Amino acid sequence: MLGSAELCFNVDHGYLEGLVRGCKAGLLTQQDYLNLVQCETLEDLKVHLQTTDYGNFLANQTNPLTVSKIDTEMRRKLCGEFEYFRNHSLEPLSTFFTYMTCGYMIDNVILLVSGALQKKSVRDLLGRCHPLGRFSEMEAVNIADTPSDLFHAVLVETPLAPFFQDCMSENTLDELNIEVLRNKLYKSYLEAFYNFCKDHGDVTAEIMCPILEFEADRRAFIITLNSFGTELSKDAREALYPTCGQLYPEGLRLLAQAEDFEQMKRVVDHYGVYKPLFEAVGDGSGGKSLEDVFYEHEVKMNVLAFTRQFHCGVFYAYTKLREQEMRNIVWIAECISQRHRTKINSYIPIP
Amino acid sequence: MGSLFRSEPMCLAQLFLQSGTAYECLSALGEKGLVQFRDLNQNVSSFQRKFVGEVKRCEELERILAYLVQEIHRADIPLPEGETSPPAPPLKQVLEMQEQLQKLEVELREVTRNKEKLRKNLLELIEYTHMLRVTKTFVRRNVEFEPTYEEFPALDSDSLLDYSSMQRLGAKLGFVSGLIHQGKVEAFERMLWRVCKGYTIMTYAELDESLEDPETGEVIKWHVFLISFWGEQIGHKVKKICDCYHCHIYPYPSTAEERREIQEGLSTRIQDLYTVLHKTEDYLRQVLCKAAESVYSRAVQVKKMKAIYHMLNMCSLDVTNKCLIAEVWCPEADLQGLRRALEDGSRESGATITSFMNTIPTTETPPTLIRTNKFTEGFQNIVDAYGVGSYREVNPALFSIITFPFLFAVMFGDFGHGFVMFLFALLLVMNENHPRLSQSQEILGMFFNGRYILLLMGLFSVYTGLIYNDCFSKSVNLFGSGWNVSAMYSASHAPAERGKMALWNDSVVRRSRVLQLDPSVPGVFQGPYPLGIDPIWNLATNRLTFLNSFKMKMSVILGIIHMTFGVVLGIFNHLHFRKKFNIYLVSVPELLFLLCMFGYLVFMVIYKWLVYSAETSRAAPSILIEFINMFLFPTTATSGLYAGQEHVQRLLLAVTALSVPVLFLGKPLFLLWLHNGRSCFGVSRSGYTLVRKDSEEEVSLMGSQDIEEGSTPLEDGCREVTCEEFNFGEILMTQVIHSIEYCLGCISNTASYLRLWALSLAHAQLSDVLWAMLMRVGLRVDKTYGVLLLLPVMALFAVLTIFILLVMEGLSAFLHAIRLHWVEFQNKFYVGAGTKFVPFSFRRLSWKFSDDRA
Repeated sequence: MLGSAELCFNVDHGYLEGLVRGCKAGLLTQQDYLNLVQCETLEDLKVHLQTTDYGNFLANQTNPLTVSKIDTEMRRKLCGEFEYFRNHSLEPLSTFFTYMTCGYMIDNVILLVSGALQKKSVRDLLGRCHPLGRFSEMEAVNIADTPSDLFHAVLVETPLAPFFQDCMSENTLDELNIEVLRNKLYKSYLEAFYNFCKDHGDVTAEIMCPILEFEADRRAFIITLNSFGTELSKDAREALYPTCGQLYPEGLRLLAQAEDFEQMKRVVDHYGVYKPLFEAVGDGSGGKSLEDVFYEHEVKMNVLAFTRQFHCGVFYAYTKLREQEMRNIVWIAECISQRHRTKINSYIPIP
Repeated sequence: MGSLFRSEPMCLAQLFLQSGTAYECLSALGEKGLVQFRDLNQNVSSFQRKFVGEVKRCEELERILAYLVQEIHRADIPLPEGETSPPAPPLKQVLEMQEQLQKLEVELREVTRNKEKLRKNLLELIEYTHMLRVTKTFVRRNVEFEPTYEEFPALDSDSLLDYSSMQRLGAKLGFVSGLIHQGKVEAFERMLWRVCKGYTIMTYAELDESLEDPETGEVIKWHVFLISFWGEQIGHKVKKICDCYHCHIYPYPSTAEERREIQEGLSTRIQDLYTVLHKTEDYLRQVLCKAAESVYSRAVQVKKMKAIYHMLNMCSLDVTNKCLIAEVWCPEADLQGLRRALEDGSRESGATITSFMNTIPTTETPPTLIRTNKFTEGFQNIVDAYGVGSYREVNPALFSIITFPFLFAVMFGDFGHGFVMFLFALLLVMNENHPRLSQSQEILGMFFNGRYILLLMGLFSVYTGLIYNDCFSKSVNLFGSGWNVSAMYSASHAPAERGKMALWNDSVVRRSRVLQLDPSVPGVFQGPYPLGIDPIWNLATNRLTFLNSFKMKMSVILGIIHMTFGVVLGIFNHLHFRKKFNIYLVSVPELLFLLCMFGYLVFMVIYKWLVYSAETSRAAPSILIEFINMFLFPTTATSGLYAGQEHVQRLLLAVTALSVPVLFLGKPLFLLWLHNGRSCFGVSRSGYTLVRKDSEEEVSLMGSQDIEEGSTPLEDGCREVTCEEFNFGEILMTQVIHSIEYCLGCISNTASYLRLWALSLAHAQLSDVLWAMLMRVGLRVDKTYGVLLLLPVMALFAVLTIFILLVMEGLSAFLHAIRLHWVEFQNKFYVGAGTKFVPFSFRRLSWKFSDDRA
C-alpha cells in the first residue's frame, strides 16, 4: 500500500471501522460481569443479558434454557455481525476477512474429518462447526481418505487450498495424522496471513503482526506441551511450528529439544514478552492455567488494537474479543447450571 | 395561568400499598398518570428484585402474543387496532389469560407444524413429478429399448447416455436423480468430476418453473439432474456429494411402466394432499381469526401489567413485609386525585385495609412539571430543548409565546410571505385531528408539532410586513403617500419663496437622471404615512439607505428591551427564592450597567427621531459620534443633542463604572460577611437546591428515614455537606466569571441583535431579486406572447418563493430567533438545570405492535 492509510482508508472502510468501534463499545463491562456472576439461574442470566447489547436475542427460545442454546445464539449474533462486515467490505479488507475465516475453516475441516473417523453422524458434527468457518463443500469432507484426496476432491476451490502444499501425503487419516494435518495447515495459514498483513503495510501491519506473532508462538508452545509423551519425533515437531513468531528461529529450535515443562520454561526465559506469562502460571490446583494466561495476553493485545485508527486489525480484534466474551459467558453459565460456583470468577475480564 | 409562569409545586409522598392491593392501586394510578416513582432499589440488580417472576411471566405472554401476531400477519388477516385501552387485567384473570394463550399457542404450533409437514410433502411430490417429466427426455432412447444391459444397444453416438462402454465393463449401472438449486449446479458438477474422476455422467436441465424450497420456503429456480455411474464405491461418493449440496434425491424408475405407475400414484396423492392441506389451512385461518379479535386488547393488557410490575419493583418492602412502600413525586394540585386513585384501587381489590399516603418533607430538588396544552406545547419544547427549567424558576416559555414569533417576524417581515405561512399553519390547525397528520413523521411531523408557532409566526409576519410595507417585495399604497412630487415644481410656489429652495423646472427634470424630493419644501411632505413605511420609498433609489438606518436602530432598540426584560425576570427569580441580596448586589448593578450604556443609546436614538425635523436635519449630530464621545471625553466641544449633555453622560458613565465592582465583589463579600456574622443562614451557591428551609425536626426526620430506607443516605449526606460548606474562593470565582460574561455579553449581545436587521435585509433583498429576475421579465414581454410566458414564469416564481423564501429563509430566521432567545435572552435569568417530571402513565406506552417483525 501507499503508506497513506490516514488519507484514503476511510474512503473504503471508514463506515465499517466506525461500525466495529460501535460494536466494541457494546462489549460487556466489568459491572455487567459482576452482575452476571450473581445470577442464580440461567433465567436470571437471560434477564441480565437483555439489559446489555445482546438485547433479547434469547426471546424466541422456549424453555428450558440451556448453555448450548445460549452459546448457539451468541455465535449466531456474532456471525450475523461478521457477515454484515464482510458483505460490505472492499478490497483489501475483504481478503483480510477471508483470512480471518480460514482459521475457523481449518478447525471445521478437522472436526469433520476426525468425526467421520469416529463414525459420528454428519448432521451432528455440522451443528458443532463454527458458523464463521462454514463453506459449501464442507459436508463432503468425509469422502476423502487421504490428505491429498481431501485436497483434490474437496478443498481445491476453497481459500484453504494454498495451505495444503505442505501436507500432501498419501497417509491415511488416523488420529495422529489429523492432528499433524491441523497443525501443518495452521502453520501455513498463519504464515500466509502474517505475510499478507506485512505486505499490506501501514498501521495494519503494525497492529496485526504482533498479534499474529503471538498467535504463532502460542501455537508453538501448545504443540510442544501437547507432544510431551507422544510418539511425535522432535524433527516432526519442529516442522509443525509456525515460523512467523518471535521465537523463530532460535527459540523454535530450542523448543524442539525441550522434553518437559521445565525445559520449556528455560527456553522462555530468554524472551522478555513470554517470561512473565509463564511466571504467572500457577502450579497444580491454585493459580491460572497456561491457557488462561495466554488468553489474557491476547485480550490485552486486542484491546490495544483499538487505540490506533485506520487499520484492519480492529475487525480481527473485535471478533476475538467477542469470542472471549462468549467464552466468559459460557463459562459463567456452565458454572451456574452445574451449581459449581467456586470457580465462577475465573473468567477472563475484558478491560 | 400561573402554571406556565413557574413549574408546579411538587411534594414527595410516601405510598403505603397493602401487598394485596398494590397491583390494583398502581393500575388506577397508571390510568390517571399522576405521579413519578422514585427507584428505591437502585443498587439491586434487575434480576434480584421482588417482582421479577411476574415480569418474566409478562415477557412470556408477550412472546406468545408476538408469535400470534406473526402468524396472523403471515395469514394476511387484518389486525384490529382498537382505540380503546382496556384496563390492566385483574390478577385473577391473569392466570386464566395465560392458560388460554398457552393453549392457543400449543394448538397453533401443532396445526402449523402439521400444515408445514403436509406442505413439504406436497412440494416434494410436485418436485418428483417434475423430475420424472424432465428426466424422461434424458434417456429417451433407453425407453425404446429394453432396459436390460445384456442386450447390445445400438451404437448411437448422439445418445445422451452411451451404454456401450459400460456394457463392456460389465458393471452394474446405477442412477441417481433429483433436484438441485440453480446456483449450486456448477460447483456440484465440478465436485462430481473431481471426486469420481469422470466415471460418472451427469445430465441436467433447468426446470422451467420456480418451485418453493420445502426447507426455507423461498421460491427459486431448480435444476433437474440425472447422474449415471457404475460401481458401488462411486455410488456412495455420489450420494455423499448430493447430501453435501442439499440435493433432493428421488428414486429413479428403471422401466417405462414403473415410471408410468409412479406418475399415476403421484398425481392421486397430490390430489389427496391438496384437499387435506386446504382443510388444514381453513382450520388454521379460523383459529387465527378468532385470535385476531382479542390479540390487540390482550397485548395492551400485558403491556400495562408489565409496566405495573416494573413500578412495583421500584418499591421497597416495609419491616413487616405486609406492605410496599413507594416514594413518588406528585404535584400538590393532584394530591387529592392521588388519594382517590388509591382508594379506588383498594376498593376494587376488596381489601379490608386501604392503601394510604402521606407527604414527607425533603431537601431534594423535585422534578419540574409545567402543564402545557396543544398551543403552549410547542413553545415549551423550544425552551426545554435548551434545558429543562429548574424547579420553580421563571419559565421563559410564557414570554416566548409572543417574543419568539415577533422576533421571527422582524426578520421575516413580508406580509405576502407571512400570509402564505399563516394559511399553511391554519390548514394544519384546522385538520389537527386528522389521523394521518398527527402520526406523520420526519419533516411534516416537525411542521405539524410546531403548527401553532407557525400560525403566530405567520400572523406576526403579516404585521411586520405591513410595517415594512412589503408584499412579495412590492409596497402597497393603501392610504395614499404622504409625499407630493408636484410641490417640487417651481410653478407651484410663490416667486418670493423660490430663491431659497432647489426647485425643479422642466430643464432640470429633463436633464438629471436622479432627482431628490426635499421635505423642507412646503407641500412636499404632508405628514407621515398612517401605518409603516411610505410606499413612495419603493420607487426611491436611496430606499436601502433609509431602510438600513431604520432597521438597524429598530433592532438595537428591540434587543435592549428584550435583554432588560430578561434581567428583570431575574429579579422575580430572586424574589421567589428569597434571596433579596441578589437583587441589590446582582440584578440592580446589571440593570444599571445595561441601561446606563445601551439604554442611553436607545434614548439618544428616540430623542433624535423626535426632536429633529426636516428643516433642522442638517444640524443633527451623529449618534455614533456622540456615543463614542461619551467614553472618549474629547477636548473640542461638540454641539451635542441637548444642553447639559456632557454632565448627564459623565454621570451615566460614572454609574456604569461603579456598578462593575459591585457586580464583581458585592455578592461574594456579602456572603462572606453573612458567613462570619450569621453562620446559621444556610445558603446555596449555585442552582436552587435548597428550596425551603427545613426546621430541625424535619431534617432529623429525613435522616432517620434515610437510615430506614438504607438506599441513598450517602448521596443525601454529600449534598447536605456541600450546602453547608462555605468556600469563598469558589464563590468569588463563579461571580467573577458570571460578571465578566455579563459585561462582555452586554456588548456582544447588543451586536448580536443586529441579526434582526441583517436577516430582514437579506429577506427583502432576496425577494426583490426574485421579483426582478422572474416576474419583471415575464411582465415585460408584449401581451400576445406574454400570456403564454407568464404562466410558467408565475409557476416558477411560486415554487421558488415557497422553497427559497418561505422554507429556507423561514428556517434561517427561525434558527436565529431561537438563538436570540436561548443565548441573548435566557442567559440573563434562566438556569435550566432541572429534570422533567415523568409520570407513570399508561398513555406513555406505545400500543403499536413492534415493527421489527414486519
